[in-house]
Amino acid sequence: MRVVVAEDVMLTREGIARVLTEAGVDVAAEVGDAAALLRAVRTTQPDAAIVDIRMPPTHTDEGLVAAQQIRATHPGVSVLILSQYIEPHYAMRLLEDHPERTGYLLKERVFDVANLTDALRRLADGETVVDPTIVARLFSRKRHTDPLGQLTDREREVLALVAEGLSNQAIATRLFVTERTVEAHVKQIFQRLGLTADPDSHRRVLAVLAHLRGTT
Amino acid sequence: MARAAPPPAAPACLATNGRLAVAARLAVPARLAAAIAGAAAAAGALAVAEGPGRATTYAGSSAAGATLTLSAGLGLIAAGLVICLARRPGRTGDLALLAGLCWFTPVWAAWQDGPPLIPTAAMVAAGFTFPLIVHLALTCPTGRAGSAPGRVLVAAVYAEAVLTAAVLALFRDPYFDPGCLANCTVNVFLVRSLPPLARAVQAGDRWFTATAAAALAAVCAARLARASAPARQRLLPVHLPAIGFAAAVVARAVVLQQTTVEDPFNPALFAIFAAGSAAVVLLAAGLISGVARSRAERRAVARIAASLDEAPAPGSLQSALAAALRDPGLQVAYWLPGAQRYAGATGQAVPEPAAAPGRAVTRLTRNGRTIAAISHSGAVPGIERQIGAAIRLGLENERLQAELLAQLEELRASRARIVQTADTERRRLERNLHDGAQQRLLALSYDIRLARAAAQADRDAQTEVSLTGAAGETQTALEELRELANGIYPAVLAEAGIGPALATLADTAPLAVEIVLAENRRFPAPAEAAAYFAVAQAIGDAGRRGADRAAVSVGQEGGRLVVTIQHNGTGDASPMMAAADRIGALGGSLSISETVCRAEIPCASS
Repeated sequence: MRVVVAEDVMLTREGIARVLTEAGVDVAAEVGDAAALLRAVRTTQPDAAIVDIRMPPTHTDEGLVAAQQIRATHPGVSVLILSQYIEPHYAMRLLEDHPERTGYLLKERVFDVANLTDALRRLADGETVVDPTIVARLFSRKRHTDPLGQLTDREREVLALVAEGLSNQAIATRLFVTERTVEAHVKQIFQRLGLTADPDSHRRVLAVLAHLRGTT
Repeated sequence: MARAAPPPAAPACLATNGRLAVAARLAVPARLAAAIAGAAAAAGALAVAEGPGRATTYAGSSAAGATLTLSAGLGLIAAGLVICLARRPGRTGDLALLAGLCWFTPVWAAWQDGPPLIPTAAMVAAGFTFPLIVHLALTCPTGRAGSAPGRVLVAAVYAEAVLTAAVLALFRDPYFDPGCLANCTVNVFLVRSLPPLARAVQAGDRWFTATAAAALAAVCAARLARASAPARQRLLPVHLPAIGFAAAVVARAVVLQQTTVEDPFNPALFAIFAAGSAAVVLLAAGLISGVARSRAERRAVARIAASLDEAPAPGSLQSALAAALRDPGLQVAYWLPGAQRYAGATGQAVPEPAAAPGRAVTRLTRNGRTIAAISHSGAVPGIERQIGAAIRLGLENERLQAELLAQLEELRASRARIVQTADTERRRLERNLHDGAQQRLLALSYDIRLARAAAQADRDAQTEVSLTGAAGETQTALEELRELANGIYPAVLAEAGIGPALATLADTAPLAVEIVLAENRRFPAPAEAAAYFAVAQAIGDAGRRGADRAAVSVGQEGGRLVVTIQHNGTGDASPMMAAADRIGALGGSLSISETVCRAEIPCASS
């Protein structure tokens, strides 16, 4: 697997590159800003791009904009956004246009080799990746009326994994059940929560996140 | 006219300076004396014109000549009396009275059967009619000769008249004067007869007078051309006749060059005399109309004074003054002694009024302190006198109001700057934490993981355990630092605005927070920050007071961002000073009750 790393802080960029090398991933290019990232993606045609959300020149959302550009122009290239913000708004904005092969992870998580390789593999399989911390925060949000209260423990478990971007098959493997069981759970959950999105599409991640946030 | 306002000036009539109170007491008898002298001079002149010398004066040559002589002389005397009675400043009144008296002297010089001293003295005085009329015309409308060319011209004509009168009185023997017509025998002042000198001085006088008349016309025309529209309206009634008079003087000199003797029956000379006299009549009428105009303006100003107790809006005094003085460009600038600058009625900074072509500045003072500077068309004579005591009080009130408004505005701007500076500093801190400490902690956590992996490989269980602990500590530090950075200034607030920032606030709030956005849009950053921190503080306070739910609504009403926080907390609400300061700095308001907070923050609808 070949990846491009875009991160303006050299310390962090080198750390990520070392983790990747350690995991046997080929680092095709290391760049410090969005323009160089887009050039590197064009010239090296990697399998994935690992992108810092905040890069020069304005240090606001350059990473998000670059990620959407890559997903639009290079559908075969996965994009993993790295961020220090537990910020559902950014994750949802990232997933708006191209939820498949797109991921949002907290930076400290990628220093665990297992987490990083797992995320890259899932993106390569066409899944979506949302950091579990974000999902956990949304689950723990205080609500006036708690729709999650109508769900069984197992259903909540399934819902969290759906929100993290796992496919039915991946959820089945994770929970040691059959894919058909997961499908039935998902259908039931969507019905109970009144979600209208297609439970089998990539869009379901965004729909679940928005529902959890109460912004549907 | 930029000068400190004197105390209301007493009329300086026939007592032009010095102790003004004494002058004011003397003014009435002096005026009466002038009027009696004028009437006597006119009546006497009529009698003389009918006497033996009748063929030698314009007044005696025809009824028309008599009428013109009387109208011009009495017109000047009447104008002088009116100006004095109107207590106009300057010398205009005196000059008109003197010019009127002098106007009759050519007739008195023809008194052949009277005491010889009178025709002789009249001959001498006759030479001063022209300088007096020049001076009179140039003192309009301010009472002073004004510009440098005007002052030079006035000084020159007086000096030349004195010199000529002296030479002719001492050395001209009328008997040897070929141009003599009216009084050809008597000169009681004669010291020695020097006919060539007398002739040379007479010729020089004729040409000097013609040149001075042309200069008078030029100065008047230049003033008319330079004046602003309202100033020109005041100048025209006097300066236009003055130009006509000057033209008659020049024409007379040209004709006399050919005929030597000033024969009143010469049609050309009579026509010139008629034109000059008519011009003087118009000039006198112009002076009187100027007084009437000033009276009307003073009455208009007095009306403003009467309406002042109706608590006028800031700036209404300026518009009222502009209307009363018929000067739409009039501007009142108030002096703010604290800020050491001038301000308009609403406190806004204005440059110090400066005199410019067609614009004059009058400073109004009270007890030696400047209250205001009024920029007006230079044509308003003695504006500081026209603005009576009541108007001054009104100006002082408006100045105080302007000062207060200016101070309020400065205070508001200063508070806004303080908040702006604090926000910039917060964002810089957040960015520094993100790019500095957080990145170093990340690198550290990575190194710890590497070391732990190495310890694992070496089967060094003790090191592995302590490194696992260190990794956990590092992770906790990262999380705490992230919360700290977010509390200092949420990155999402700057990047995505109030809606997403409040949603994230609700994610982590200790109570259930429901957010209703009227529309998902951006507002100016200071307004968004004020709204965000107000909600954060209100929710924190509600949580401390046992609330378990809150509803936040964000919307725009007019030009204001309105945020309402309702909750079910109990007990006394916190005054929320930090949020109140922020909102106050933007000119907004914050109201707090036990369960509701409402913030209204002005925001330009961008």
